Amino acid sequence: MAVRMGFVIITSRCIDCDACMVACRAENDVPLGNKRNWVKSSGVQGQFPNVKEIFQPGNCMHCEHPPCVKVCPTGASQKRVDGIVIVENSKCIGCKYCIVACPYDARFPNPVTGKADKCTFCWQRLEQGLEPACVQTCLGKSRQAGDLNDPNSIVSKLIAKYPTRQLLKQVGTGPNIYYIDEAVPEIPQGE
Amino acid sequence: MELTWGLMIVIYLFTAGLSAGAMVTSNFAFLYGGQEFERVSRFGAYISPFPISLGLGVLLLDLGSPFNFYRLFLTLQVRSPMSYGSWAILFFTFLSVIYLYLWLPENYQVLGLRNPQTWKKRLAKFMPVLSVGVASYTGVLLNAAVRPLWTAPLLPVLFLVSALSTGVASVILIAALSPWQRARHRELHLLTKADAILIILECLIILTMIVMGRTNSLSVSSAFSNLLIGPFAWIFWLLIVGLGLIIPLALELMELKDKIPVKWALPVTISSSFLVLFGGFFVRFVITYAGQWSGWFN
Ligand code: SF4
Ligand code: SF4
Repeated sequence: MAVRMGFVIITSRCIDCDACMVACRAENDVPLGNKRNWVKSSGVQGQFPNVKEIFQPGNCMHCEHPPCVKVCPTGASQKRVDGIVIVENSKCIGCKYCIVACPYDARFPNPVTGKADKCTFCWQRLEQGLEPACVQTCLGKSRQAGDLNDPNSIVSKLIAKYPTRQLLKQVGTGPNIYYIDEAVPEIPQGE
Repeated sequence: MELTWGLMIVIYLFTAGLSAGAMVTSNFAFLYGGQEFERVSRFGAYISPFPISLGLGVLLLDLGSPFNFYRLFLTLQVRSPMSYGSWAILFFTFLSVIYLYLWLPENYQVLGLRNPQTWKKRLAKFMPVLSVGVASYTGVLLNAAVRPLWTAPLLPVLFLVSALSTGVASVILIAALSPWQRARHRELHLLTKADAILIILECLIILTMIVMGRTNSLSVSSAFSNLLIGPFAWIFWLLIVGLGLIIPLALELMELKDKIPVKWALPVTISSSFLVLFGGFFVRFVITYAGQWSGWFN
């Protein structure tokens, strides 16, 4: 089956240290004031003493049906055969259409390059056999990435074992980040 | 929530509609109005190329990589409204300049086309198609960027009717302002009637959109709340509904019934047509801004 790169994010393992954001900025020269990935807080929920707060890390969902790619007038925004959604800078005119079209606000106009900018799945690292910078750096092992179509990948094993949810499924983008809220005591072995 | 698309895009959407509307007004006046509506066709032809050229210039300034803009015209991405829309607008602008040229007084037509009248007729028959495309494209453009407010299926229709209305109003305004060729009563009467009908149509479309939006999913209906009672309410009610629709409609209806004293006729014509343009601008403004303001709920 074709490769379908995606993420599994285990919210119960996120401690909001924001190391993923720092790692991404360092790896990808993301200008200060913009971000390719994030950690959102649910705010404090419930009544004292039963209170909880959920942290939900995120980045581009590398959607199955990405509206950002559909609307791009020059073909700069593309979905690669392995599912990774990228911007080919030389074709981008900076019209920002893709940025308004992304329901997850995962893109931003890069003030330095004048192009649309977003998570690239660190494909430059994948080519060297490394994980994306945010995944490698994640302290709680909350972030996992891999081929969702390969049953032996960590992400597939996690999805098989735990209930998952996707964000804004009703919008029809087919997001490729699967969230697990349950406690995951052990991360399975995988490729 | 910061805004990615700002005033430049609003101007672009507005001017594209205005040019298309003025073009259609000119074409119809020429094809069906005959000699009597000659000035209407002429004014429409003189207006048409300019707003859209301004819009294109402004759009270029808004690009992150303006020197890369030629990339737009190296390809046709059939799924991207901005791609086929840019081609349509390119052709429209080009043809509208030719159309204007054909309407110049004969001694200015230095290129010496053999039978300008035939060309004029041909263009006048073709341009309405292209104009409808250009005017409604601005709505399709927003449709494709899946935001709750912008998914409204009637958006292209709203922009189209608003475009025609602003187009007619611009011709009325220029006709009323031009000192040397004060348009005759009959011309103005018909244009005003057309504009009044368009305004009523626009009101009905807005009403339908609100009903459809409010009965839609939570995300969509709350996006419409932003318009109706939220941060954009004063723009919507005061600038669009009040100043842009109700007041000009009332003024136009009074003009049609000859309720306006003669010495007030000119200022009233000028202000009602100006208000239509004003309202048309804020329709684009509010949709562009409120559309980005509201996102999806999980
Ligand atoms: S999350 Fe946004 S930027 Fe990423 S693929 Fe989906 S629509 Fe495109
Ligand atoms: S900003 Fe660039 S990548 Fe985005 S739609 Fe425009 S040309 Fe395409």
